[in-house]
Amino acid sequence: MSTTSQAADNTKAAATASVLMARNLNKEVTSGERILTILEGLSLDVVAGESVAILGSSGAGKSTLLSLLAGLDTPSGGELEMFGQSLAALDEDGRARLRAGRVGFVFQNFQLLPTLTALENVLLPQELTDSGMNSSRGREWLERVGLVERMHHLPKQLSGGEQQRVAIARAFVTEPDLVFADEPTGNLDRDTGQRIADLLFGLNRASGTTLVLVTHDLTLANRCDRQLTLEHGRLHERQPTEAGL
Amino acid sequence: MTMLRLSLVGVKRDLRAADVRALFVALALAVAATTMIGFFLDRIDRALERQAGQLLGGDLVLVKGSPFEAEIRDRLTGTGLKVIEQVNTVSMASHGDAFQLGSLKAVEPGYPLYGAVTLDRGQGHVAASGIPPANTVWIEPRLGQVLNLQLGDVLKLGQARFTVGAWIVEEPEQNVGFASFNPRIILNRSDLENTGLVQPGSRVTYRLLAKGPPAAINALDAQLENWKNRGIRVMDVREDSPRLGRALERSQQYLSLSGLAAVLLAGVAVAMATRRYVDRHLNTAALMRCFGSTQRQLTQLFVFQLAWLALAAAAIGAVIGLIGQWALLKLLVQFLPLELPPPGLLPLLLGVLTALAVLIGFAGPTLIRLKRVSALKVLRRELDPLPAAAWVVVAMASLIFGALLWLYSGDFKLSAGLLVGGLIALAVLWYVARIWLAGLLRVARWLPLTWRLGARQLARRRQASLGQIIAFAVTFAAMGLIALVRGDLISSWQERLPPDAPNQFAINIQPSERDDFIRALDGITDQRSDVFPMVRGRIVAINGQHPRDEVPVDARNDGNLQREINLTWRAEMPQSNTLEEGEWFGRDSATQAPVPLSVADRFAERLGLGIGDRLTFDIGGDELTGQIASVRKVDWESFQPNFFVIFPPGVLERYSHSFITAFYLPGNDQRQLGSLVKRFPAVSLLDIDAILSQVRDLLGQVARAIELVLVFVLLAGISVLYAALTASRPARAHEGALLRVFGAGDKRLARVQMSEFCLLGFSSGVLAALLADGAAAILYAGWLDLDPRLHWLLWIVLPLGGALLIGMIGHLLSRPLRKQAPMTSLNLLGEE
Repeated sequence: MSTTSQAADNTKAAATASVLMARNLNKEVTSGERILTILEGLSLDVVAGESVAILGSSGAGKSTLLSLLAGLDTPSGGELEMFGQSLAALDEDGRARLRAGRVGFVFQNFQLLPTLTALENVLLPQELTDSGMNSSRGREWLERVGLVERMHHLPKQLSGGEQQRVAIARAFVTEPDLVFADEPTGNLDRDTGQRIADLLFGLNRASGTTLVLVTHDLTLANRCDRQLTLEHGRLHERQPTEAGL
Repeated sequence: MTMLRLSLVGVKRDLRAADVRALFVALALAVAATTMIGFFLDRIDRALERQAGQLLGGDLVLVKGSPFEAEIRDRLTGTGLKVIEQVNTVSMASHGDAFQLGSLKAVEPGYPLYGAVTLDRGQGHVAASGIPPANTVWIEPRLGQVLNLQLGDVLKLGQARFTVGAWIVEEPEQNVGFASFNPRIILNRSDLENTGLVQPGSRVTYRLLAKGPPAAINALDAQLENWKNRGIRVMDVREDSPRLGRALERSQQYLSLSGLAAVLLAGVAVAMATRRYVDRHLNTAALMRCFGSTQRQLTQLFVFQLAWLALAAAAIGAVIGLIGQWALLKLLVQFLPLELPPPGLLPLLLGVLTALAVLIGFAGPTLIRLKRVSALKVLRRELDPLPAAAWVVVAMASLIFGALLWLYSGDFKLSAGLLVGGLIALAVLWYVARIWLAGLLRVARWLPLTWRLGARQLARRRQASLGQIIAFAVTFAAMGLIALVRGDLISSWQERLPPDAPNQFAINIQPSERDDFIRALDGITDQRSDVFPMVRGRIVAINGQHPRDEVPVDARNDGNLQREINLTWRAEMPQSNTLEEGEWFGRDSATQAPVPLSVADRFAERLGLGIGDRLTFDIGGDELTGQIASVRKVDWESFQPNFFVIFPPGVLERYSHSFITAFYLPGNDQRQLGSLVKRFPAVSLLDIDAILSQVRDLLGQVARAIELVLVFVLLAGISVLYAALTASRPARAHEGALLRVFGAGDKRLARVQMSEFCLLGFSSGVLAALLADGAAAILYAGWLDLDPRLHWLLWIVLPLGGALLIGMIGHLLSRPLRKQAPMTSLNLLGEE
């Protein structure tokens, strides 16, 4: 099923440029002797600057879809493009290079490197782009998430909310074209989750980044430009009337 | 029974888990290292025990520097012992222009009392019946090679000529170990006189070999004490079961200790792997608790599982050990003229015991967590039992390792000392390594990205990194030190010698030929030391008391009290000596009573002697007492003749004596030496260069044997790396996956991991260089009297070699991790 974007009033110049494109995407996994079909004939287009929420119940395949879209995993069939580049044509390394500096991630369980300080974690994606390290940028971003005074702390010395703020700074530090967020508030209490969501959407708006958010939280999903529901391996566009706002 | 079955099923399934493999490898290595050495030493010990009489040459052997009085021989034969006399000396053997120092053994009919001499007369090996006929010698083939001799050729010994009758393939009574440098020559006792080699003052030992029933020897006990007090060395099969030469005995100890180093490292690996093993099994344990397992049943289950593992590891380790001991034997075979019995079972048992002990000591405290797990963990994952306190783990491991040290060395004091010293050294190393890692973290920010990431990971995963750095540092240091001892020691010793230091000693110069010999010598070289007279005497009393009662406890068995020592006389102090205390002889010293003596500083120190102490010597049956008037500092490395005790002139001249001198012959000109030997057949020349190169060969062989053991130590160190990798696998997989997510390619990932391992190797190498150079400095200054110096090569080779080695091994071991797709290892996008 196709859910072609119609968002036309995006402020970015390349508003209609396709950032992500999926056609007839399939993903099957073998479990013992059974073959499980997780995604079947799924199609999706995401254009630059929009924010898209992917909703779905537990086990629907949201995270599998996200990992495919981000090139972290390979589909069993179908076409997949990121920034106009076919992912099938790239190997693991090629996909990694494509992501470097252009894609940011925010995970449910933060995924900070335990051996790096907050600042070093923030700087990591930037360092991997070969553009070298600019620690003032990292400091700047930590300041924007309100953690500059804790920049030399290791993850284990930070609370869950603080760790997620570091993760958000890390996601935006390279000024990426695309940010994937996987249940970014899933491991946080309500108040902290609310503040993290504010931060995420605020930064997203300010930098005009494309955002793909996977969640089962309607409130969070409704803050996105579009909401898609994953059911039986396919995506459906959600009607605004269903919005919880 | 159920638990036994369950444990078998469990261990089979677990064999695929990296931590179980690491555990297995570590245990197998510990067993391999200990059984290898165990098998080897056990075989030597049993061989020595079995062949005691044969190796000693008889059940009772008396040794003396002068001929035995008839009454002694009569007394022995009177108690029903069979007695033969044997005379040993060292002399030049020549054939044509070629000459070589030989080790002479003159024997009587009846020799040997035990075993047989195996000969080769050109028709295969045969056991000799009887002794060489008159005017015939049996010689070792290597002498034949040096002198280019064939059977039937004429060999000159002193003033007599002999026919070479046979090659010696094997002789029963030997100096086990490194004593016999010079090729053996066996001749008939009755021919010895004709050689003219036995002169007053020459280095000859007389041996009375006796064979008989134990009762006959027991009946002699009181007499033996008496003889001992008269300066006769008594070797008795009942107590003096022959021992290996000192160098070999030392290397035995080194082997045992290096073997235990492998055990220690394997233990560290076991401890690391166990942590991961326990983490992995906590859920299983909680589930079993849920289903009603008691703590006892849980304990049983895991104890059985690990016991299976230990048994299997012991079996494989023992096989490797068997192969290893065979290789050790090959390396040392030329120093072990023994028929070795086949490998015994005892080392095997010890190997299994070692595996179990390592498991209990190094894994025990960590395993207890499994027993303590709460059933509630099934519902609340975070409810893990607390890990064992670090001090409990260290204490338990130390206790067990101490017990192993004791078991293998049989020396409680040594074990306790090593354990305490080792713990202190470890604490210091730990501290130094921590500082190093902290420094590395600071430096990291200036490094390029790959190295920066590697350095940070190494420095921040501190506990695991410290363990590995220390394990490798100790291993590398041991290897570096061995290399130093083998190469640097001898060469630095040689370097320090002045270029014209004597390269030949001439001994056994008789008074009658002294002037001729010196004239001849001065004709071929102008670099010669003074000529010293030499008289042999034995210390029989110190301050009028038995020497043993007057010296410090640890000097009671000092060789200088057991045998005759060389004495000399001189009016002036030798050039290479300096006066440390007291006064040198005056004009009327010879007439003073007691006679003033000058002693060497080390001699005085060792025997606890000082100015004013009186020494009584037995010289050729006469007793002579002198009083220490001065202590000299002696430069032993001058390669000049040096003496522990110097008398003033006018005292010793009346005793039989010979002369000694040292000289430097440019290029060690064989032709000129040959003509000297020909003209003065009774004078023996000792080639110092040759002796040094023999020592180097010996050290090389022993070092190689120890290196073989060190290979196991290194392997055990690698098992530590493997175990540490296993323990940190989830963390590393996570890191790798995250780096991938942020755009690091496979190559970069590999480079980051490689950089971490290289830095680990480099850090270990730096620490190892520090350790090895420190130990070398102590060794040089404390024992060898060499100036400590920095071995810069060590500081280059160890860090770089370490980086290369560990970098490569780490790279290989972590390969499977990099092959996983990021999603598999990351498991980061929720629960689907």
